[in-house]
Amino acid sequence: MGDPKRHRILMVSDFFYPKFGGVENHIYYLSQCLLKLGHKVVVMTHAYGNRSGVRYMTGGLKVYYVPWKPFLMQNTLPTFYGTLPIIRTILIREQISLVHGHQAFSTLCHEALMHARTMGYKVVFTDHSLYGFADVGSIHMNKVLQFTLADVSQAICVSHTSKENTVLRSGLPPEKVYVIPNAVDTAMFKPTAERPSGNEIVIVVISRLVYRKGADLLVEVIPEVCRMYPNIYFKVRFIVGGDGPKRVRLEEMREKHSLQDRVEMLGAVPHARVRSVLISGHIFLNSSLTEAFCIAILEAASCGLLTVSTRVLPDDMIVLAEPDPTDMVQAIKKAMSILPMIDPQDMHNRKLYDWHDVAKRTEIVYDRALKCANQNLLERLSRYLACGAWAGKLFCLVMIIDFLLWRLLQLWKPAEDIEVVPDIVLSHDEDREISQDFQVFNKDHSLR
Amino acid sequence: MTKIQLANLQYLYKHDDCEGPHPLDTHHIVIQQNSARVFLVFLFALLLFINAIYLCLLNVTANSSSRSSKWLGTLGTIFLLSMLSNACLVKSYYGTLIEKESVVIIPSLGVQLEAHYWSGRVVRSFIPIDKILKPVLKENVTPFTCYWSLVLLVRGKKELNLAFE
Repeated sequence: MGDPKRHRILMVSDFFYPKFGGVENHIYYLSQCLLKLGHKVVVMTHAYGNRSGVRYMTGGLKVYYVPWKPFLMQNTLPTFYGTLPIIRTILIREQISLVHGHQAFSTLCHEALMHARTMGYKVVFTDHSLYGFADVGSIHMNKVLQFTLADVSQAICVSHTSKENTVLRSGLPPEKVYVIPNAVDTAMFKPTAERPSGNEIVIVVISRLVYRKGADLLVEVIPEVCRMYPNIYFKVRFIVGGDGPKRVRLEEMREKHSLQDRVEMLGAVPHARVRSVLISGHIFLNSSLTEAFCIAILEAASCGLLTVSTRVLPDDMIVLAEPDPTDMVQAIKKAMSILPMIDPQDMHNRKLYDWHDVAKRTEIVYDRALKCANQNLLERLSRYLACGAWAGKLFCLVMIIDFLLWRLLQLWKPAEDIEVVPDIVLSHDEDREISQDFQVFNKDHSLR
Repeated sequence: MTKIQLANLQYLYKHDDCEGPHPLDTHHIVIQQNSARVFLVFLFALLLFINAIYLCLLNVTANSSSRSSKWLGTLGTIFLLSMLSNACLVKSYYGTLIEKESVVIIPSLGVQLEAHYWSGRVVRSFIPIDKILKPVLKENVTPFTCYWSLVLLVRGKKELNLAFE
């Protein structure tokens, strides 16, 4: 703790490994880059099946799998004050200076941020998704978000669209929200030395086959494109990876138009295999109706594919289309005409989104958050009162009870009784030793 | 023979290192009895007792003689049951309350774990040295707290050791 610039961060979310997805990846990569910058990072999430307790990941990343059972869609049961003791214990034993919560849909995140604020810690929140305003679920979620963000030190969104959405939903002043885009692991997503040649053009689609990802649009676009380009001069093939409720519709479409030889359905593709699927294609098609930040497009661009999408990248790397079948067909046609002029290596080398860059920008946000003034309970309560006529008073009541419970906990289990964890720093030699062991294992594998 | 003693509010740690012809390394942890906790348990038991007597007295004075025998029978049962449950409560509390725990390391032979309870019962277990793989500091995470404990990895199974609290 001699270095004043060194932060001690607790990342909290319901979503972390072994579950796989965008938020989980984001937390992991960001934590690794922050560890490389010299900060201390600890992750807290709920237990996944048997995986409960403390685990260590690469680089000394400590993960607490707290044994609270998930009750709905991987979210911990929201008990309001139930998680206060364990969060307090973790904050004290790891000597945390800042709490970073991820994803508005995570109940553990909201509770952790609430308790951290009560105990006087600085808090940063990152929102990864877009939400609506009209349906009952969204209205409730937005109210909860308003409560959490009423008193947050800083907030981060992954794109300008996401910032707009968050600011509108939560009523947060825009000056408090920073935009730091997601990044892609360019070391993993590299184009091949040689593009797949032959007189065929392969269009790759990898996404969850759900309504939100535009699977219904695909059902109309694919037969139309195949009809426009019969196998006379060159072949046009589709590779569809991913699984979901709409898969049945795609299979039906395949049968109906007899496209079995032109449309290949791969099913769910594990993330480790995504690159091998991407490099077998020339064009990447993304038909999402709504997306806060589409990592899939970045991964495709990093592999040197031209993208047809309903979202944004620089103009020469993407062809945009409206979420409408005719428009998408026109966009694919345009993409195929500019395909010969694309150089995959050049696209990969652009280095637009890089995790180290994201980590440095996040560090700036942390510095700003830690500079925020300490406020006592009364000053904070005034912020909650502004949330609404009835909601404001309810939120104030919730925070007052939380404060009282915290004081009670301080009397019952004083902070001096909680043992502080010594910092375990992996020396350079130990790191190399571990990677050497890994290499040996790999060698054995390849020998087999 | 070296003796080290450390104390805090909850625990007292004693270390005896005996060298010479029969070397023996002993570590004791004595739990400082929290008088507040004992007081609370007795208070609770007393309250149950008073409650039972109050019920008895209330119904004996209120009821007429025709039904009094029936009521007396019922109340007597309630009284007895509450006394029994009180006794069980106090006994179980003291039965599980640990007074002192010890680890005796006998070099080249093994490790003996002892737990002395308030009721006078002593539980001992011996682990031969060839069965011990490694002592490990483990972090236990429960839904409400997180604490360290010293664990001996034993060939064949995992075993918990030393301070339970």
